[in-house]
Amino acid sequence: MSEDTPAVLDVRDVRKTYAGGVEAVRGVSFSVARGRLLVLAGASGCGKTSLLKMINRLENSSGGSILFGGEDIAGLDPVALRRRIGWVMQGDGLFPHMSVRRNVGLIPQLAGQDAARVELRVREMLDLVRLDPGEFGERMPDELSGGQRQRVGFARALAGEPELVLMDEPFSALDPITRDGLQQDFRQLQADLGFAAVMVTHDMAEALIMAHDVAVMRAGRIVQQGTPRELMARPADDYVSGLLETPRRQVRAIAELTQ
Amino acid sequence: MNANLAERWAELPDLLAGHVLLSLAAILVGLVISLPVGIHAASRPRLAGTVLNLASIIQTIPGLALLALMVPLLGGTIGYAPAFLALMLYSILPILRNTIVGLQGIDPVVRDAARGIGMTPREQLWRVELPLALPVIVAGLRTAVVWVVGAATLATPVGASSLGNYIFAGLQTRNWLSVLFGCLFAAGLAIALDQMIRLLEVAARERRRGLAGAVGIALVVLLTASVAPRFVSFDRIMAGGSGDPVRVGTDRLDDETIVVGAKAFTEQYILAALLDERLSAAGARVDRRDNLGSTIAFDALRTGEIDVYIDYSGTIWATVMNRPEPVNRHAMLAEMTGWLWAEHGILALGSLGFENAYGFAMARDRAEALGVGSLADLGPVSNGLTVGGDAEVFSRPEWVMTRDTYGLGGMQTRAMDAAFMYGAVRDGQVDMISAYTTDGRIAAFDLIVLDDPRSVLPPYDAVILLSPEAAANPALVGTLASLIGSIDDDAMREANRRVDLDRQTPAQAASWLADRIAAGETTQ
Repeated sequence: MSEDTPAVLDVRDVRKTYAGGVEAVRGVSFSVARGRLLVLAGASGCGKTSLLKMINRLENSSGGSILFGGEDIAGLDPVALRRRIGWVMQGDGLFPHMSVRRNVGLIPQLAGQDAARVELRVREMLDLVRLDPGEFGERMPDELSGGQRQRVGFARALAGEPELVLMDEPFSALDPITRDGLQQDFRQLQADLGFAAVMVTHDMAEALIMAHDVAVMRAGRIVQQGTPRELMARPADDYVSGLLETPRRQVRAIAELTQ
Repeated sequence: MNANLAERWAELPDLLAGHVLLSLAAILVGLVISLPVGIHAASRPRLAGTVLNLASIIQTIPGLALLALMVPLLGGTIGYAPAFLALMLYSILPILRNTIVGLQGIDPVVRDAARGIGMTPREQLWRVELPLALPVIVAGLRTAVVWVVGAATLATPVGASSLGNYIFAGLQTRNWLSVLFGCLFAAGLAIALDQMIRLLEVAARERRRGLAGAVGIALVVLLTASVAPRFVSFDRIMAGGSGDPVRVGTDRLDDETIVVGAKAFTEQYILAALLDERLSAAGARVDRRDNLGSTIAFDALRTGEIDVYIDYSGTIWATVMNRPEPVNRHAMLAEMTGWLWAEHGILALGSLGFENAYGFAMARDRAEALGVGSLADLGPVSNGLTVGGDAEVFSRPEWVMTRDTYGLGGMQTRAMDAAFMYGAVRDGQVDMISAYTTDGRIAAFDLIVLDDPRSVLPPYDAVILLSPEAAANPALVGTLASLIGSIDDDAMREANRRVDLDRQTPAQAASWLADRIAAGETTQ
């Protein structure tokens, strides 16, 4: 990253030790600039979700510091912080008792915007995620497909004009075709709106396809960080090589079919 | 419309209003208490366990016992307060339990989402958690409504008027129309309220303003219709009272409210109706508290909750004065009168003239077959026989002393409602019952009362008792004094028979008694 684009998020030597002495995160540092997507990749239990939850203070860190827009988040009100950060969860996390319109309009509404502005914002967001506001606005979450639900999840996260979006396995519950379409759409959204984003995934192919930067985590530490191209060219160790082997084998198998 | 039905209809506005005011207040206060406690406890598993255990313990106390317990806990207060408190406690468990279960049942992903997108704890609660738990909480509220409206019929014995008055009075006087009235209206009220709450919840969930408005109006109409008559008639009385010139007379009780108590059996209803008639004729507004439990009636008199009721010398002797040994009739009356005045300031105005003793009665053919004419004869052959009695008799000293004196320890006791005892002994379902000697059914069913050669059973003169406050009211004392010595055993037995067997109402029997007293007065 170049010197003239200040980092939206700067994570410095962050640690997390749970009660009982389990060290989930053992000193992790990275930064994410405007318009960039950093993917935290690794197996279950490597500490990536704990790390994500420390960024919007759903959990408190046990050491190190996290700077958001240059400010240490330890000094910020957690609720105010979370309203500036988009939050997308595995399995969408939509409120089942609210229509699509109310789900998406919730954050602007809580921020005190008047009804007309909220309505405008909802239409704008649904257009962005390519859902027709007229057709989908009044539907309840259980009347949507999985892909449509996750689109609403993105629309809700982006409605508050966040500077940073955090995503915990947002595509893992979707079928491959829906997933591919949504991944493409997300990259376009990010290019258009310019927010910074951190995504957690255990799917290495997804990380390579979507990320500007990939950080591979193992047992609470980052074992390698770089662009997808750098990772493919020079895996740092056997663990990273192993993770890359699955997408490589898939690509080879498909390539053989076209020969 | 027959007289019975007309009388039941006339009672409806008061009893329905009492029932609605009592149960709704209990549910509302129960809701206001259990909802915040449930919300607070839902996120604290240990606290949740503790409060649920506590509420469950309250729930396991039978409704009637919980109501009765409130009377001594409130220092002898009867009426609305103990009934309200007991029913309120009763409403807590279902609401509390469902609030906790409903909140704990919310998908953790949804909870995380609410926090993660930046909702404050208050916003999480009001916008996400409570709406999602609402169907479960409402189900708890509906359970509470059905329980409390049903249990409110048990408020009658502690002196709160409710639809239970129909049931208790009907059971005692074998007036099944009255019992049916109480059951139907209580069930109808419970169903109506339950369905209205269900519809309100549907309206809230589906955001249907029209439905919510319609149900709201229906609820207000139901409440107004059931409660308004009480206040309207009250207003009329107030207006009438202030408009009339004040009449002065030594024996007049104009516009004074006199509260007349009665225990839960036929004779008491008739005597309360007789007192009512006398006091009303003297200009008083009479407030009736029928169906009081035996000791509750005395406590209520002591504390001034009621002004006057009829009790029996032997009852006061044994259960209030705690004197085990019986003495002769006149000595007992004299000693009791002195004791009541000295200890409690209660005035025993005088005996009505008849005695309603406990006696032990058998069917004549059964007694003859066993060769039994007295309790002493019964002793040697009593082993394995069954004796029936009302709920309180077997714990009273009269039974204990009779049993021990005549060697009746081998008999099996069976408690049943007093209304069923006489039929049970006639039909041979029990061998003997604890009868009231003035009961009209003794003669009608050809029962014989066994002799008591060792005078174990104390005398039971019916006595007019006045509370300390009422005792200081010369007009009241003067009005009731005319009843002293006016009713003999035969008159009372006949009045009881008219209600128990001829299906007259207590008020009709009281009129007959009043006529007979008037006739007696003119011949004297």
